Amino acid sequence: MGGRTRKVLGVTAMAALLSLAPHAGLAAGGPTTVELGTLSRLFAPVPFDHAKHTGLAGSCAECHHHTLGEAPVDPNCARCHRANQPAKSVACRECHPAERFGAEYLARLAANPQLYHTGKPGLKGAYHQKCLGCHRAMGGPSGCEDCHPMTEKGEAFYHTGKYAPAPHKGGHEE
Amino acid sequence: MNRLVGRGFQPITSLTKPDGTRWSVKEKLLLGLTPQDYMAVQMRNPFNWLLWLIYAIGLPVLVGRFIYGLGWATHGSYDYPWGLFLAWGLFTMVPLSASGFMMGTTVELFGRKDFKPIERLGLLNGLLGYLFAVMFLQVDLGQPWRLIYPMFVSLGPAAVLFLVAWHVATYLSCQVAELVPAYSEWMGLPKAKKAIKSIVLGLTVAGIILSTLHQGALGALFTYAPGKVHPLWYSSTFQWFLFLNSAIFAGLSMLIVVSTLSKWFLRWRCDDNFKQNLDQLTVGIAKGAALALITYLVLKIIAIAHDNKWEYLFTGWGQWYVFEIAVGVIVPLILYTRAVRNESASLARLSAFIAVFGIALNRLNTALITFNWKLYQEVPHWREVVIVITVYATYIVVYRAILARLPILYTWKERS
Amino acid sequence: MKKIDRRIFLKGGLAGGAALAATGTAATAKGAGTFNGYPNSMGVLVDLTKCVGCRTCEAACNKEQGLPAPDKPFNDTSVFDEVREGGQKRRTTEKAYTVVNRYDVEGREGGPVYRKFQCNHCQEPACLTSCFVNAYKKTPEGAVIYNPKVCVGCRTCMVACPFYVPAYAYSSATNPVVKKCIMCYDTRLKFGRPPACVEACPQEVMTFGKRTDLIKLGHERIKANPGKYVDHLYGETEVGGTSWMYLSDVPFEKVGFDTTLGNQPIISYVKDFLGMVPVVLTVWPALFTGFHLLANRKEAKKKEEENKG
Ligand code: SF4
Ligand code: SF4
Ligand code: SF4
Repeated sequence: MGGRTRKVLGVTAMAALLSLAPHAGLAAGGPTTVELGTLSRLFAPVPFDHAKHTGLAGSCAECHHHTLGEAPVDPNCARCHRANQPAKSVACRECHPAERFGAEYLARLAANPQLYHTGKPGLKGAYHQKCLGCHRAMGGPSGCEDCHPMTEKGEAFYHTGKYAPAPHKGGHEE
Repeated sequence: MNRLVGRGFQPITSLTKPDGTRWSVKEKLLLGLTPQDYMAVQMRNPFNWLLWLIYAIGLPVLVGRFIYGLGWATHGSYDYPWGLFLAWGLFTMVPLSASGFMMGTTVELFGRKDFKPIERLGLLNGLLGYLFAVMFLQVDLGQPWRLIYPMFVSLGPAAVLFLVAWHVATYLSCQVAELVPAYSEWMGLPKAKKAIKSIVLGLTVAGIILSTLHQGALGALFTYAPGKVHPLWYSSTFQWFLFLNSAIFAGLSMLIVVSTLSKWFLRWRCDDNFKQNLDQLTVGIAKGAALALITYLVLKIIAIAHDNKWEYLFTGWGQWYVFEIAVGVIVPLILYTRAVRNESASLARLSAFIAVFGIALNRLNTALITFNWKLYQEVPHWREVVIVITVYATYIVVYRAILARLPILYTWKERS
Repeated sequence: MKKIDRRIFLKGGLAGGAALAATGTAATAKGAGTFNGYPNSMGVLVDLTKCVGCRTCEAACNKEQGLPAPDKPFNDTSVFDEVREGGQKRRTTEKAYTVVNRYDVEGREGGPVYRKFQCNHCQEPACLTSCFVNAYKKTPEGAVIYNPKVCVGCRTCMVACPFYVPAYAYSSATNPVVKKCIMCYDTRLKFGRPPACVEACPQEVMTFGKRTDLIKLGHERIKANPGKYVDHLYGETEVGGTSWMYLSDVPFEKVGFDTTLGNQPIISYVKDFLGMVPVVLTVWPALFTGFHLLANRKEAKKKEEENKG
């Protein structure tokens, strides 16, 4: 059971953890390239061109919300998080849990009825919603493998590439 | 056989031969003919050739269904889980077999002994109809070997089908019991007959209860699918009663149909008592059927008014509905009424054939044709059709075989 | 707790019918349609606006449930162009417990809508209430699970399910069983873990949580994004409520949802019949024995008179 469980957990990983060190020259616009890869399993890590994206995004808050001290883009967030102190960390994983629906996180949500951010996406969801949301809106690349090539495990998982079903060997098709 | 009898052959009507010795079982099975004569009679009958043809094609397909599964024999549709096997074999066969409880009630309960000559035919029609409904069910069930699960292994008593299963099973045993007298006469076992005689009233009342409930339950099964059955054929409130009500004239009409067929094709087997009374009894049955039909018609209209479904009548489905009601209900109603007024048995017979067609149309409409009216029309796989014809042919073979032997169409004589 | 008792009661319902006893059935019919589910059951909120049609959930389900290999790779988007009988889109099959379909909605900004679809795990499931061998079970965790060991294969559950969910293993001759999503009960839900498809989705289209919380969350999301969503949580009330619920920015009927189902659980449509059962059982025997006596009294009299005359 356990092994399978782990695997499936891994399976879910299509993106990686932004390994942005808290001290990495924030004022200078952040690091140039970041490898997003700690969750990767079915897909290879994403070499994220941070410098390029800082140029494209209007403001850091577009992705980092309020954590850099800038006013958040979303007016709904701005109701509380006006321009204020930068957060201790700007790493995505700091707020977006890797195991969003794990028992532990769910218990934490349940134990804290005052909590406002109950619908906050997990790490993988945050990445994809953010990246893909923008890519689709701006006409950027939006296929899975445009950002991260599939690994062999991924091919097995999706029954594609080497593991693709033989053509016309359809079983019971209603 | 009709020809043989015309030439002076005497069919078996008692335990003993004219010379006083007893018929052996084998002789009785061969209808009192020598094996050679028996074969010759069988070969002469063109209907048997048709049966052979059906079996030649149908048996391999039927066997194939159990070897290769339902996906091979049917379209294996997920949207139409019930196909022709149940639409015809269960939902049509069962109402057409309601004659058993109708006749039992008339004769044993209401004391209408004048219907006695046709009572056993009514009972047999009921028994065989149910038996083959179960056969059809066995063909359709994914795991027929688990047929008894709902009875003993895992019970889901809150489900309508649970009630159907139990009631059909119990009712089948009731009907077997009700026909024991015919069998015991033929076999020469008078004790069994006596035993049944003492409980016949109980059996009959049980038969009414069970029939009321499971005929209704077959209708109620469709109330599980409010969005799938077309609204004109659906009524949460009345569905069960409509099915029960239509089963009454369905069973009676089917009885007229089989008695007519017996009169034509098994004339040699009918005794004078049957032949002479049949016309009058047919008119009597027609009266009952007409009453049931008029109730049904009114109820059908109430069901539409109750849920205010008039607007559906003006769609394509509405025309189909009007066709079903016109041909399957109004025409037989008129014909039956005239038949009763003019005491015309032949008109009643014509009406019966139409009514049987009408009820079949209604059940097929509910279960197959208007089912999933929002999706698409399922047309049964040819193998499915072949299997239905094969099983139904078996029903006819068994039916005919029993009629030719047991004292159903004739009265058993204690001595010849 | 009262509500749960009703379910047990319901199960006892027609037993009487079979045994020709009448106890309890009347209450069964009256009570139909009031069961609101287990208080702490889990559910999933599916936000259609987030789905990008990558079919990862389909792949995850295939793997988790050990289903046979698909006919086409799971990253093949040509499946969205497949049409079945009657111009229908793909549906769940014996090889796929969940499918994603694409809907091109006219006038929608941001392209087509993708809809992931599987068993909705109804609060008062039609499949369960129609099964005559009691093969289905609604677990306290919210899943509607199925026991293939007792299934006879009558397929009434497929007829009854208003969402056309259960499929049947027609391809098997020796052990055909119903095939449907079980909310990953055996391998995950039972242990408090989210379903495989939920966890695999890169877009986090699905939120797993307590059903009651999800209802709140859904309405909050509608409120927090004025003008974005249709103001309805599909599944909150449909056919008595479902554990899987949906948010959409286009009218639900445009993306494959049946919006005509109403809020009554399916079993409530059967209650008129169920209510009649005990009446027949108690009244009929007396009634018909009475008829018999009446009819025969006349006859007996007639005979007497004949004898006299
Ligand atoms: S969606 Fe269908 S199969 Fe699933 S629980 Fe509801 S009725 Fe049962
Ligand atoms: S919950 Fe589990 S069984 Fe159901 S669709 Fe998702 S992965 Fe498949
Ligand atoms: S995995 Fe998520 S985004 Fe991809 S098709 Fe399924 S629900 Fe949609």
